[in-house]
Amino acid sequence: MIIDAVLTGAVRGGTSILYASVGETITERSGVINLGIEGSMLCGALAAYAAGIATGNPWAGVVAGMLAGAALASVHAGVVLGRHANQIATGLVVTFLGIGLTGLFGQSYVGQGVVGFSDWPIPVLSSIPFLGPILFDHDPLTYFSYFVAPLAWLFLFRTRNGLKVRTAGERAEVLHTFGSSPTRVRFAAICAGGALAGIGGAQLSTAYARNWSENMTVGRGFVAVALVIFAAWNPIKAMAGAYLFSGAISLELQLQAQGVGISPFLLDALPYIVVIVVLAALGRSRVNAAPAELDRVFETQPA
Amino acid sequence: MTASTTSTGADSSVTDPEVPPGPDPSEAGHDDIVVVAEATPSGPSLAERALRTTARWVLAIAAALLIFAAFLIAKGANPVTVYQTMWQSFAGSSNSIGEWFVQSAPFLLAALAVAVPARAGLFNIGGEGQLVLGAIGAIFVAELLGNSLSPIMELLLMAIGGVVGGALWAAVPALLKRFTFTSEAITSLLMNYIAVLLLAFLVNGPWKDPLSFGYPASRSLELDERFPIIWGSRVHSGIFISVVMAVAVWAILKYTPWGFRVRVVGGNAEAARRAGFKVGAITVSTMLFGGALAGLAGMIEVTGVEGQLRPSMMVGYGFIGFLASWLVKHDPLKIIGSALLLGAIAVGGNGLKTSAGLSGAAVNILMAVLLLAILGWSQKKKAVA
Repeated sequence: MIIDAVLTGAVRGGTSILYASVGETITERSGVINLGIEGSMLCGALAAYAAGIATGNPWAGVVAGMLAGAALASVHAGVVLGRHANQIATGLVVTFLGIGLTGLFGQSYVGQGVVGFSDWPIPVLSSIPFLGPILFDHDPLTYFSYFVAPLAWLFLFRTRNGLKVRTAGERAEVLHTFGSSPTRVRFAAICAGGALAGIGGAQLSTAYARNWSENMTVGRGFVAVALVIFAAWNPIKAMAGAYLFSGAISLELQLQAQGVGISPFLLDALPYIVVIVVLAALGRSRVNAAPAELDRVFETQPA
Repeated sequence: MTASTTSTGADSSVTDPEVPPGPDPSEAGHDDIVVVAEATPSGPSLAERALRTTARWVLAIAAALLIFAAFLIAKGANPVTVYQTMWQSFAGSSNSIGEWFVQSAPFLLAALAVAVPARAGLFNIGGEGQLVLGAIGAIFVAELLGNSLSPIMELLLMAIGGVVGGALWAAVPALLKRFTFTSEAITSLLMNYIAVLLLAFLVNGPWKDPLSFGYPASRSLELDERFPIIWGSRVHSGIFISVVMAVAVWAILKYTPWGFRVRVVGGNAEAARRAGFKVGAITVSTMLFGGALAGLAGMIEVTGVEGQLRPSMMVGYGFIGFLASWLVKHDPLKIIGSALLLGAIAVGGNGLKTSAGLSGAAVNILMAVLLLAILGWSQKKKAVA
């Protein structure tokens, strides 16, 4: 009984992080780290919520979320690629900008009615015992998310443009020699990552929470960045990571519902602890898995 | 590749022979190789550079104000009235200068907490959590001691509690970086969320003041457990400690052997390692030092300003400290200025909520755009390794 509920919650709650971590995987494969996707998720969540209310159509919300996420990511891309600013600092400032923007524009939306997605149980599949409710009784954005990670994998490892992205991340000068601009490839990869994070934010506000509140992502975007390391820069493994994190959230919520004698605040910390422990356990094995150009980001830098 | 990463322009010639003759260096996408032009002897004169620096800051602030105004117009607010409100909030009352200092002091320490690890090339983004743990550590000591000691001894021990709390919280990312090569940026960032939840647990549970009428907060500190008020109603003596720490950090980095090692490791970790420096020890010690400074900020805030633990206290202070440190490239003395600048924006921002009916988070836009302008401006000189 509990296992059902935990796994169902893991899939539903993991969707937003799944989009964000697949997006960040594409960005980092091009050799740029973007801590701004926390901000992209927030902007996506608010834009989707607002557009849903304005148009009455949740799909317009998804498009708006995608655009908002990409727009904020383009700020990161502009400053990092155009001005060669420090990537980690810029990303964090971009998230800070996203918190400010959503605070300014989101204030009037707090507590408003949502035009969100309802669940679309898939006719036959959803009646499969056990697996049906876990996988096939969700909002449409969750169904799409099942395909996002495999599609991202196919893109990165089986297409020409995917090869360009990976080359930008491994050996930028090779890409340059063959007549492509690493800067352009990276710009596109950063914006694509932001767009996916924006969709993740849209799912969070219009399908999962069905609500808008200030800073509602509470670090999900940062967790997505951590999960990319966990996943060794592989979108398929990022999917597993997203479900691991949201599984911890889901388990903790179930434990609260069951009335375990542990403070809900301590239980809320569980997902973050899980991520840190997993990263620490993987530690060394991930050092060499990083795209080579990304290594420079983690190298010590002049102050 | 990494071995040729240089930090100072003095030895920029080391990297030059490796420049490939063909492609335009700025296109090749090597983001993190720095050649600092200012170090060349034939640079502009001191007066010229001072003028340029001033012009850069004026332009950056003007740009930030303009962009924020554009967003305000998009929101449907009148930027002139909003800026008037902010100015009124900043300068409108008799104790406004005091309020400015009260607000800037924790930013200053939070920025130093970022700056010390940054000088060794590390990212401490855990200031938010380290501040909270500092406040918790101080209250823990206060609860432990009761009324047994003289006020000065008690404050001193509470400060030690805060310092230890902050340092312990920073020890997690530091040790993980040292022993499992986990990115300290990511782990310190995630530790923030755990710290805030720990604070919420304490003020809703074991430390909840029974007299708080259901509002989650810890018991109010006694008067002798608080920093004495020296001016007006809120200006407390803890502010001096912040300024003293800025000067101390500057002196430690500049004049002690440890500070020298930190700067060498920050300049080029690989070269430092080959020269026999213990890079891991510098990693851990700078992070602990940073965490201790943030913990001190949390202790000063809870004993000087708040007087009790609340769930939403000090929200954003760690991040604003990060901005303040990056605004001036982690120079401890200049951080006094950048903390005052961001403190002024924050005090002005308080007026947004109360008078203009806008979200208090809106001033984050102003701060973020300001730093983006400074980051974008100062980092353009790069070359290919």
